Amino acid sequence: MLNSIDRAIRLLGVATCAALFSTAGAFAYEGGAVSGGGSIKGMVKFTGTPPEREVLEVNKDKEVCAVGVKKSNELVVGADGGVEFAVVSLTNISKGKAFPEGASVLDQAGCEYLPYIVVVRKGADLDILNSDGILHNVHTYSEKNKPLNRAQPKFKKKITEKFTETEMVKVTCDVHGWMKGWLAVVDHPYYAITDGSGGFELTDVPAGEYEIKVWQEKLGESTQKVTVPAGGEASVTFEMAAK
Amino acid sequence: MSKADEEKKSYAAVFLLAVALLLASAIWIVWDDQIARRPWKKYQYDFSQTQIDRAKAEVAAEQQRLDSSSEYQDVVKDLTEARQALETGDTGRLMADLERQRGKAQLFYDDAEFELRTKKSEIEEAWYEVEHAQLAGANVEKPRARLDRLEGERIVLEETVSDAEARLEKIVSEQDEIRSVVVALEKKKESLEAERERLVQRVDSLVIPMGPLAFPKIPKIEQVVLEEFDRNAYNQPVARVDRCTSCHVGINKPGYEDEPQPFTTHPDREFYLLSHDVEKFGCTPCHQGQGAAVNSPEQAHGRVKYWLDPMYRGDDVQAGCIACHADVRVDKAEKIALGEQLFEQVGCVGCHLVEGYGDVPPVGPYLRRISAKVNANWLVDWVEQPHRYRPRTKMPNFYFEREEAEAVAGYILSVSQAESEEWLGSHGAPDGIDPGDAALVARGSEIADSIGCRGCHGLAPGESPALLGEKKDVAPNLSNIAEKTNPRWMYHWLKDPRGYSPDARMPSLRLTDDDARALVSYLFTLGTPRTGDEATRVKLLEPDNVALGEALVRKYGCPGCHEIPGMEAESRIGVELSVFGSKPMEELFFGNRTDIPYTWRDWTFHKVNEPRIYETERIEQVMPHFDLAESDIDAVLVFLASRQEERVPDAYRPANLEREKTLAEGRRVIERYNCVGCHVIGGEGGAILSLYEENPTLGPPILNGEGAKVQANWLYGFLKRPIPLRPWLAIRMPTFGLTDDETVKLVRYFAAEDGIDSPFVHIDQASLSPEYVEAGELLASVDYFSCWTCHQQGDRKPEGPQEGWAPDLALARERLNPDWIVEWIKDPQALMPGTRMPSFYDFSDDERDGPEDVLESDLQQAEALRDYLLTLHPAAATAPMAVPPAQEQTPFDLGGEGAASAPAADEIDAQTEG
Repeated sequence: MLNSIDRAIRLLGVATCAALFSTAGAFAYEGGAVSGGGSIKGMVKFTGTPPEREVLEVNKDKEVCAVGVKKSNELVVGADGGVEFAVVSLTNISKGKAFPEGASVLDQAGCEYLPYIVVVRKGADLDILNSDGILHNVHTYSEKNKPLNRAQPKFKKKITEKFTETEMVKVTCDVHGWMKGWLAVVDHPYYAITDGSGGFELTDVPAGEYEIKVWQEKLGESTQKVTVPAGGEASVTFEMAAK
Repeated sequence: MSKADEEKKSYAAVFLLAVALLLASAIWIVWDDQIARRPWKKYQYDFSQTQIDRAKAEVAAEQQRLDSSSEYQDVVKDLTEARQALETGDTGRLMADLERQRGKAQLFYDDAEFELRTKKSEIEEAWYEVEHAQLAGANVEKPRARLDRLEGERIVLEETVSDAEARLEKIVSEQDEIRSVVVALEKKKESLEAERERLVQRVDSLVIPMGPLAFPKIPKIEQVVLEEFDRNAYNQPVARVDRCTSCHVGINKPGYEDEPQPFTTHPDREFYLLSHDVEKFGCTPCHQGQGAAVNSPEQAHGRVKYWLDPMYRGDDVQAGCIACHADVRVDKAEKIALGEQLFEQVGCVGCHLVEGYGDVPPVGPYLRRISAKVNANWLVDWVEQPHRYRPRTKMPNFYFEREEAEAVAGYILSVSQAESEEWLGSHGAPDGIDPGDAALVARGSEIADSIGCRGCHGLAPGESPALLGEKKDVAPNLSNIAEKTNPRWMYHWLKDPRGYSPDARMPSLRLTDDDARALVSYLFTLGTPRTGDEATRVKLLEPDNVALGEALVRKYGCPGCHEIPGMEAESRIGVELSVFGSKPMEELFFGNRTDIPYTWRDWTFHKVNEPRIYETERIEQVMPHFDLAESDIDAVLVFLASRQEERVPDAYRPANLEREKTLAEGRRVIERYNCVGCHVIGGEGGAILSLYEENPTLGPPILNGEGAKVQANWLYGFLKRPIPLRPWLAIRMPTFGLTDDETVKLVRYFAAEDGIDSPFVHIDQASLSPEYVEAGELLASVDYFSCWTCHQQGDRKPEGPQEGWAPDLALARERLNPDWIVEWIKDPQALMPGTRMPSFYDFSDDERDGPEDVLESDLQQAEALRDYLLTLHPAAATAPMAVPPAQEQTPFDLGGEGAASAPAADEIDAQTEG
């Protein structure tokens, strides 16, 4: 009889382990120290004549919102054709550098989303700040995550949300029609947003072959293969034209 | 023949034959009675056998599961070991010793207990002696002394007994203690075996055991008696008996879905049989057939001569729903609903009266002023063959020869001339219409795309936003409209459809003159205008032609669907179909056709599909060809099959019959005006929303839950005279010119849809708590929720462009149900997914989301906001907004006309639905 109890406990232990393992998911990202990793440096380039950035009309709450000239961030092309605000990521990596668990921050300041694209870890907190001290609402458009439309009145300096599925989520404010931003909900740390010159860098990538993807809201998506040498640097250039 | 011969003669052969015949007929009688006429017996045997086999298989499967369950095997093993342990080794010896002790202790206890009982009897006797002596006046001393002695002995004995009992219990509890392991394991084993035991019992319940053998149950007639369901020849209520379940044994048992008939489980059993108790309703009220017959499937299904109600096949069974339900809008009976819609809207009612549909307004266009509307050449072509110009038109083809079409056109033009000219006299030719002006046409096209025309009309060839069945357009496709009519008529028609045709289904879009000009200019780029109108008219109006036309119009019953001057008194030319579903076969005329199967369904299908099919040399037929898809004809047939003489007693009809009627009546109005072309109502419709996928908030509001949301009075007024509620929408609610009756039906429909019995609301301003109103005002202010950033209050408009505005909160008191306001504030997304109204609270947790310095809880705040909104009045909106914005003008004066022409109270509107 004691034998059977013992056996039951052992079985239970195995079952629990199995359950924990399976909820973690088959493709769960495993973060840790990366030794001898390389990096990927590159640029996203626009081919053709870049369009003018639309000037956004501030027609409400001007005393708070009318700071500087607001221009659309939908397609920002720099001097050398570099595209700002493109999201570059590795699509097939399951093990690599540590993935920080802290909250990401999206601020509403001067009636703009800062930054324009926020990288949010799947399941982690996104702190949404209201630095303006006027009514905003955070209205998301997404396919996999539950749509969200929360008011953030003056007295709510911070609200916190979580996103459970990886995708690009559009954020708008219905109070201020010109406000728009993006959340990149991600499940590993190899994500980068291109800077003003279209450049990006992914560091501490374990040596190996990867698929690298770029997403830009107006230009669409594109992928390439890249081989990262141990301790070295791989270079990638994406060339994208208007759709 | 001599006597001797007679005596010698043997009758053995005759007797043998007689006996053989007798025996054969006896066997035949038994066989016929017990087997041949009782096919259900075999079905029941077979089904029993299936059930038994399944149950046994389940037992075996369960046994196998136990055998392969390590938990169970462990328990069995542990139990065997534990039992063995009780009998061997030290424990075994201890148990044996205890058992011996228990035996002794038991013996001792039994003896002592017996002695005690004896002693008690002796005491009883001694008491008798004492009392007897007292009564007899004898000496009591002696018996009393005996009693005392006995009492003394009893006390001693009682102690002995209780000691013995304690000793015994101690031993037994020691034994139990040792045995407890076994008992626990036994219990566990039992619980693991419980399912198997249950299954075994199920097998037992299915069979009759006879010694070692088990037989399936003896078949018996199963029947449901529907008390007072039918009426006999003397109109007395009589019972109906349904024995269908004698063969359809598995009909109400889940799990037999894949068995062949008659064992199959009822399709969608959960829906049909749980809401229609078989023990109450039986089968034939829905399915028809001869419920009492059990001798053969043909008889039971009523497929025999002279049985008037053979069982429905396929979707036709939906006709059965109508026997009890108020109308043809019943869950899962879409086919009959479509059939009714077709019957009513395609124009069958124009010629064929059906009870309940006699007052449907004319289906076809108004012809009193048709001369002012159409091109004469177009008209002749149209009358000759309508489907050539518009393949999905509802107008049927009368198979006219060219000369006949000319005659009909001539007559129609002739009789409509006077009224047309009178109308033209007050509706002059508008200027500024020019299909050649690209800018004007572009504007017209934009208007057509945005104000909602496309909720009903297709503008490109083949485009159809609203289909009736498979092949009919709810509203005409306008891709070649220039061929048919003229800009003058179109202009006035668009401006005021009912000014031309008093029963028009086409609503007024409240177009400004400029918008109407642009729209007409655009529409006249669709198709090429026909020429030669004048010359054709002269020819058509020749008296002989007109006279022939009049005869044809009368003969073919045109006034059934069209209003024609001088034909107001014409009656319907077709046979009445109110009880067509009960029509006996003998009354259906097959003409010379022998190739059509002799059933009601086949006759009717072919009649609708090919209306002149039964025509003979002597019998002429005039029914026109509607060109319906086969599935649509099927739908019409289901509707016709439901037109029956029988009336089901109230006891068998649904309890919420009134609600069903309300829903059905409302639905008919909704279909008549194609409200569902734009709105989602009761979860259906909203075809035009496909044009707004990118930004659904710019589409027409979704009206699910409208009954719970708005006050009935307000809705009534709004339907009568719509006012722009959402300044940001280009699409607009048209003015339908609904009658009082139609409006009431719609208001009642929305309330019924949301399960609201009484749609009336009274808001007692005096009873609103001042504390709450004040708190609500504070919450709405710029320091808290800042409602006025987006919402209007009367003339107080928010900053920024109109498309960023939200509805007028001063309307709340008149328009919204107070309870709804609280629900809305609690979670707008739940009531209207995708709405721009953000959630200020999250009631899914207990955390406070609202400001903590106002009232005690989020719920109180939501109620305070409600109370505050209910006090708002447009006139009270005097507090200045941040900056009074300049009124933004949208391209074609959207909603602006309300502001320009209506009194102030009407202009204030803009409300949330979407």
